[in-house]
Amino acid sequence: MSNEQIDKAPEAIEMKSKQHPKLQEFLFSLKRFLKNPLSIIGLTIIISFALIAVFAPIIAPPYKTDNPYQIPHKGWAQEPQPPSVENPFGTMPEQYDIFYGMVWGTRNAFKIGFSIVFFNLIIGLALGTIAGYFGGIVDEIIMRIVDLFYALPFLVVAMALVVALGRGLQSIIIVMVVLGWRQYARIIRSEILVLRDKDYIQAARASGASHLRVIFSHILPNSIYSVLIVASMSVGTAILTAAALSFLGLGSGVGYADWGQIVSTCRNYIVGPPGNRLAYWFLVFIPGFVISLFVLGWNLLGDAVRDVFDPKMRRK
Amino acid sequence: MGLLNYLIRRLLLMVVILFGVTIVVFSIMMMLPPGQRVAIYLQDERVNAEQFEALIEKYGLNDPAPVQYARWVKSVFKGDFGFSVTAQAPVVDGFKQYFPVTLELVLLSGPLIILVGILLGSAAAVNKDKPIDHFARIFSIVGYSLPTFWLGLILLMIFYGYFGLFEPGILSNEYRDVFFSEGFKSFTGLLVIDGILNNRWDVAADAFWHLVLPTINLVILSSALIMRLMRSSMLESLGQDYIRTALAKGASKKVIIAKHARRNALIPVVTISGLMMAGLMAGMVITETIFSRPGIGRWMAQASLRLDIPAIMFNVLFLSGVYVLINLVVDIIYAYIDPRIRLA
Amino acid sequence: MDKLIETKELYTNFYTYEGTVRALNGVSLSMKPGETYGLVGESGCGKSVSVRSMMRIVQSPGKIESGQINLFMSDKDHQKGIDILKRSETYMQSVRGNSISMIFQEASSSLNPVLKIGDQVGESFVFHRHEEMVKEAIDRLLEKSEKSSNGLANFFRNISVKLLQSELNSIEKYDLKVAEIDKELLEIEDNEDEASIARKHSLNFWRDRCQEYNFLIKIQRKIPILNAYQRGIGKAIRRNVLQLLTELGIPNPSNIIDRYPHELSGGMQQRIVIAIALACHPELLIADEPTSNLDVTIQAQILDMIKDLKKTKISSVLFITHDLGVIAEVCDRVSVMYAGDVCETATVKDLFKNPQHPYTKGLLNSVPKVEQGEKLATIPGVVPNLVTPPSGCRFHPRCPYAMEICKNEKPEIFELNDEHSTSCHLYSQKEDK
Repeated sequence: MSNEQIDKAPEAIEMKSKQHPKLQEFLFSLKRFLKNPLSIIGLTIIISFALIAVFAPIIAPPYKTDNPYQIPHKGWAQEPQPPSVENPFGTMPEQYDIFYGMVWGTRNAFKIGFSIVFFNLIIGLALGTIAGYFGGIVDEIIMRIVDLFYALPFLVVAMALVVALGRGLQSIIIVMVVLGWRQYARIIRSEILVLRDKDYIQAARASGASHLRVIFSHILPNSIYSVLIVASMSVGTAILTAAALSFLGLGSGVGYADWGQIVSTCRNYIVGPPGNRLAYWFLVFIPGFVISLFVLGWNLLGDAVRDVFDPKMRRK
Repeated sequence: MGLLNYLIRRLLLMVVILFGVTIVVFSIMMMLPPGQRVAIYLQDERVNAEQFEALIEKYGLNDPAPVQYARWVKSVFKGDFGFSVTAQAPVVDGFKQYFPVTLELVLLSGPLIILVGILLGSAAAVNKDKPIDHFARIFSIVGYSLPTFWLGLILLMIFYGYFGLFEPGILSNEYRDVFFSEGFKSFTGLLVIDGILNNRWDVAADAFWHLVLPTINLVILSSALIMRLMRSSMLESLGQDYIRTALAKGASKKVIIAKHARRNALIPVVTISGLMMAGLMAGMVITETIFSRPGIGRWMAQASLRLDIPAIMFNVLFLSGVYVLINLVVDIIYAYIDPRIRLA
Repeated sequence: MDKLIETKELYTNFYTYEGTVRALNGVSLSMKPGETYGLVGESGCGKSVSVRSMMRIVQSPGKIESGQINLFMSDKDHQKGIDILKRSETYMQSVRGNSISMIFQEASSSLNPVLKIGDQVGESFVFHRHEEMVKEAIDRLLEKSEKSSNGLANFFRNISVKLLQSELNSIEKYDLKVAEIDKELLEIEDNEDEASIARKHSLNFWRDRCQEYNFLIKIQRKIPILNAYQRGIGKAIRRNVLQLLTELGIPNPSNIIDRYPHELSGGMQQRIVIAIALACHPELLIADEPTSNLDVTIQAQILDMIKDLKKTKISSVLFITHDLGVIAEVCDRVSVMYAGDVCETATVKDLFKNPQHPYTKGLLNSVPKVEQGEKLATIPGVVPNLVTPPSGCRFHPRCPYAMEICKNEKPEIFELNDEHSTSCHLYSQKEDK
C-alpha cells in the first residue's frame, strides 16, 4: 500500500502542469479498458448489435412500412421451415421469418435495456438521494419502502401487474421500471451517508448553499460513480428479465419482433418428429443464442467498466 | 437480552413489511374492474350476468377501496384466501398441493448452488490467472448471461428430445399410479423422501431422476453469481494483512486458505446466498414452467395469465414472508461468523 | 566474519497495472548474531519489502527476481549459509515463526478478526511444536488415569492415548524424512554441477510433497466422537499460550485468550502480535515498524518490551523504522535505504556522527533538534516513482553533489572501514584517483 501511495505522489505533481487529475485518471482507466480483451469483445458485440439496429430497414426491409415490428409471414402453415436462402434462420410456426424478427428485435432489445435502466436510475437516484441527504423520518420511510420492494417476489408481481395493465412489451417496460429501482436507491443512499458528514459538504452548507445546489454540485458528482457501475452491469439483467416475461406469454402478440416472444412461440417445438428429433433446433436455439450474445456483450462491458473504474477493483 | 430485543424488533419490522406487501398487492387488484375481482369469491366460473351483478353487490366490490381492504384483511385473518381458478381448489389447498414440488427442487438445488459457487469461487481466487480461474470466470459470465428459459429448453432438447433421458414432469406415469394408490402414504409431500419412507426406492429414484435436469439448469445459472462474489471476496481476504501474519507464523497454504481466508471471505457471501435462496423460490416460475413441474412457480405463471388473483395474493404474501425470514436467518448467521457484529 | 543472515544483490519487483514497480534494486545487507540491526528510510523505500523478501512472504503481485538470501542459523557450520531462495516452500514454513519471526505495523489488521486470540497465538505451537504438544497431552492423560480409579474413564483415556501415540508416530516419521532430505540438501548446497542441481530440485520437490500425516491419521481426526482425543492437544496448546502471555506480562491472560482482536486496545493487539512472534523463541525477530500508529506512551511501552526481550529471550532483532530517534535508542548497527537501494551501513554512533552518503546527511539534517534556531532543512524533490526509477544512482535527481557518472552507473558498495560502507560515486571516485 505504502508503495503505491508514494508512487502516486510524483505523478500528481507532474499532472498539475498538464491535465486535471480526474481527467488524467479517466484517460488512464480508458487506456486500461481498451487493453482488456474481454471489454473489447463486449464492445464489439454491442457495436455490432447497434449497427444491426440502426440499419434494420436495409438488412431486413419491412413488408409494411407503417408497422415494421410486425414480422412478415407467407401463409399460415404450422410446420416450421429450416434455414434456407430465403429465410436464413428458418421460419416459425405460421411461417414468420425468424431472421426478420431477430433484426428488428434488436431495436426492441436496446429500447428495453436502455429505458428500463434509465428510468430505474432516475427513480432510484431521486429517492435514494432524498433519503440519504435529509435523513431522519424521510429516510426511514423511503428505506422501508425500498425494503418492501425487495421483499416482493419480483417475477410474480411483475407478471400480475403486466396482465393487469394489458399484455405487451410496453407494459413489461413500465412494470420493470416501477419495480426495479430499489437497488439504485440503496447504493446511492449508502454513498451519500458517507459523504454527508464530509467537511466540504458541511462547508458548502454553512456558506448558505441551497439543498438543491449542494446535492447537484457536491453530492451527486462524488457519489454517482458506484451507481453508474451497477447500472452498466444491470442492462443485461434487465433484458433477461424482460425476455423471461415475454417468454411466459406476457409480451406482445405472435408475430411481434421481440426476442423473448419469438422463443415463447417456438417453445412447443423442442422435440422434432420421430426419426429426426432435432429437426427444429433452429427455432429455440437461434433466438435464445442471440439473446445470450446480446446480454453477454452487456455483461462483459459492465464487468470491464467495473474492473477499470471501480477504485476498489483497480489494484487487483 | 440483546438478541431477544433484536428478534422482537426484526419481527415487528417483518409485520410492517408484510402489511406493505398486502397494500401493494391489494392495489394491483384494485386496478382491475369489479367484474374481474368477483373471481375471488367464485367457486366456479359458470355464472350468468345476473348472478354476477348480485355477487358484486353482495361482496361490496363497488365500495371504497379502504372498506374493501379491511374486509379482505379480515377474511385473510380467518384463513380464507379465496378460491383459485387455476388450482380448481381453495387457495390454501392448492398451496398444500403445489408447495412440496417446489420445495423439493429448492432443497436439492439450493445447497448445490451455494456449494458449487463457493468451491469454484475460492478455487478461482486461490489459483488466480491460472486455467481454473479462467474457466470459473467464463463459466460465471456465461452463466450470468444465459436466459433461464433458453438453457432449460436447450437442455430438454438435447437430453429429452435427442437422448430420450430425463423427461419433464415430476414422476413417470407408472409411478404416478403408485403414488396415488391406496397403500402409498404421503408423509411430507416431497416425492423422493416419501418414496424412501414408503420403502419404494424405485419411486424415489424416479422422482430424483426427474429432478436432475431442473437442478442442472438452476445450478449453472444461479451459482454464477455466488461464484463471482466468492472469488472477489476471497481475493480481497487473501490480500489482507492477517494473511501475511499467518504466513509469517509458518502456516501452510492449505491452512491459510481454509482457516484464515475462507471464513472471512464467506461473510459477504452468506448474505447473497440467503437472498439467492429466497430468489430461487420466486424464480421457480420459469424453471417449473419449462420442466412441467406442478409447483407454485408454474401455478403462478398460470395464475397470472388468467388473473387468478386469490392465488397471486397468497403467494406474493408467502414469498415476501419467506424473504424476510431468510433475511433474519442470514443476519443471525452473519453475527455468528463475524464476531465484530453484534445483533442489537 | 560471524553472520546470521545476509542478502546479496536482492531484486524484488511488483507487477502492478501501472507497470512493474522495481521495489528492490540489488539490496545487500548482512546481520551478525546477537545484534540489533536497524533499517531506516522513508516509507516506500523498500524496507518492508526487503524483510518480507528475507522471509519469502512477498505477496502477489510481488516477486523476488534474483539474488541470494543466506541463512546461517541452526547450521552448525556457520561458514556455510543456506540460500533460502533455493529451498522448498515447506522448508520455509518450518523456518518462519520458528527461527525467524516477524511483527508488523498495524497490529489491528495483522490479527484475523474472526479468530480468537488463543487460536491465533496457539497456531505457532500447532505449526512448530506439534510433537511437544502431543507428548504433553499424552503425559497429562497418563497422569490422570494413574490418579483416577474410574475404570470407564480410564478406558477412554487409554483409547485417547493410543490415538495420540499414533499421531506422534506419524509426526516423528515425517520429521525423520524431512531431516534426511534437509541433511542431504545441506551437503550438496554448494555443488553447482548438473547432477547436484537436479538432485536438489527433486529433493525440494519431495520435501513439499511428503505428507505430514498418513491417511489413517487424517481419517481418525475427522471421525466425530473418536476425534475427541484432539481436545487434549488443544488443552496443551492453551496451557502453553497462557504461559507465554503470562511471561510477556500481559495482564489477565486467561480472559484475553477467549477474546476477539477487535475487543482489545491497540497496544494490547500489538502485544499479542509480539506474543505470536515469540511463541517459538526465534533466533531472529524482525520488527516492521512495530510502533507506528500507536500512542506515544504505548510506543514507549512496546519499545521497552522489545528491548527487554532482546536481553532475555531473543538473540537478534532486525528493526525497521522511519524514526531516527528509535534507531538511536535501540539499534547497534543501521542501514539507510532509499528507493530500493541501500545507501549506507554503519554503527549507529558512526552514522549519526559521521554520515557519508548525501541522502543520509539530508535525512539527518531534516530531523528537528531542540537547540535548532534556523529553518528545518529538507531534501529537495520527491521520492521517485519506482515504475520508472531514475537511471544510475536512484538518488541522483535529488543529490546536491550529483555528477555525470551518477546518471549512468549504479554505484558500487564502498567500504570506508570494517563497520562503515556506503554506495556513492563520491567515494569510489576518490578511490580511483
